[in-house]
Amino acid sequence: MNKFILFLVTLIFSASVLAHGPTPQKVQESVTVNVSPEKAWELVKDFGAISTWLSSAKETKIEKRGEDTYRIITLESGDKLDEKLRSTDEDLKKIRWEITKGNVPFTDFNAYMIVSKGSNDNESVIQWTARFYRVYKLNPPIPEGQDDATAKAAVQGFVDSGLAGLKKVLESK
Amino acid sequence: MSKQKKILLLICAFVLAGLVSIILLNKSHSVSKAYITNQGEDSVSVVNLDTLKLEKKISVGKSPLGISIVNSKDIAVVGNIESQSLSIIDLKVNEVIKTIPIDATPLGIVADADGSRVFITSWFKNQILVLSTHDLTISEAFNVGATPSGITFNENYNLIIIANRDENTLEMYDAESFKLKKVLRVGSHPYGVSTRNHLVFSANVYDDTISIVNLQNWEQKTVAVGMHPYSVAANQDRLFVANSQGDNITVINLNNLQEVKLLDAGETPENIAIDAINDKLVSTNWGSDSVTVFDLNTLEQIAEIKTGLQSRSFGQFIYRK
Repeated sequence: MNKFILFLVTLIFSASVLAHGPTPQKVQESVTVNVSPEKAWELVKDFGAISTWLSSAKETKIEKRGEDTYRIITLESGDKLDEKLRSTDEDLKKIRWEITKGNVPFTDFNAYMIVSKGSNDNESVIQWTARFYRVYKLNPPIPEGQDDATAKAAVQGFVDSGLAGLKKVLESK
Repeated sequence: MSKQKKILLLICAFVLAGLVSIILLNKSHSVSKAYITNQGEDSVSVVNLDTLKLEKKISVGKSPLGISIVNSKDIAVVGNIESQSLSIIDLKVNEVIKTIPIDATPLGIVADADGSRVFITSWFKNQILVLSTHDLTISEAFNVGATPSGITFNENYNLIIIANRDENTLEMYDAESFKLKKVLRVGSHPYGVSTRNHLVFSANVYDDTISIVNLQNWEQKTVAVGMHPYSVAANQDRLFVANSQGDNITVINLNNLQEVKLLDAGETPENIAIDAINDKLVSTNWGSDSVTVFDLNTLEQIAEIKTGLQSRSFGQFIYRK
């Protein structure tokens, strides 16, 4: 019995050694879309339009809080996400935002999307970069579902399906 | 003027000209290099700040973040978050000469004035580790406040200064006795910290400000900067702040604390260092896996150089020889 406990403790400890420390996680993906950068940017910068291209975002509402612009996303699961628009840069075709509230398996999420020119005038590249941390930031051991891998998998899911959705919507317009 | 005097004067002029040319030659021959920790690929990139080229990539431990160049010892101390170790790089050959397990998560790293000791903040254990550069072993550790992140060393006051991120404070420790000398409340979520002469600067991530503390009288000033400032560095008359979510660098006049210019950097610039020899400023861009190099005189961008995945280099990362 004692040996079994020791085994368990060792197991927990060795698993935790794999993932400790305040390391921001990164997901960065790009998609090539067969429309002009101007056309792609028009949709990408439309902060309230996310439900048209992110399938898990069932409904989106724009809300002004003082000077700041937020979008309140209702996910398929029924959970809500509050996202704050940080900046929009017309010259660089870059939009930045962050999640300020939400029941998601990651924290401190901020992201940006950049639209750039593809190999010809009617082709563009949309790049999405997300930075975030796992939920559990204290000393190991890390509770299940709050580790780096879980956080990364969840964000990867959003980014992959979002970029695929953007391509589909833009090219069918 | 006698002939002898003329000859003497001529000799003097020659000697002077010789000295001047030696000085000039030395300046133009001195080389600066930036050592960039790439947290996403367990390596350190060496960027030559003269040629603006990537010279080499050095494999280190897992998930390297912090770094301190110990110029007098020709070494770099790199902190590996995931493997809980320090990698020591010999800067003359750009190779790892020792890996030191520390059983701690190293965040900020700084050397003292003569480079005999290097101080490392230990994130989860709330300690400062003391590395002796004489034999490259951890000689001591002492307890500090919670979430110690950035660290700097003030030579004039012989102080080790750390940012306690989640406490919103700076703690100052005597560098000999390791006794706590002062705790100061600063802005929200201080991360990077640096010092010059009698001033200490902290980058306060959550309220988008820099706190400036005067060590002579403990007076404090706050300056608004860009989004999510991560680090701050000063030269004689200017302050440079990396705004990690603004993708830019705020330049502030230290005399009147007014913004001089906003410099576009790569994506998510986290850390900056000043190359005083070549008058350059370097930012490490986590988002675009690169460094941006600026001319300190013109405040224009000179180059963006690809370095490696998730470039961070938390600390003083420029080597001057």
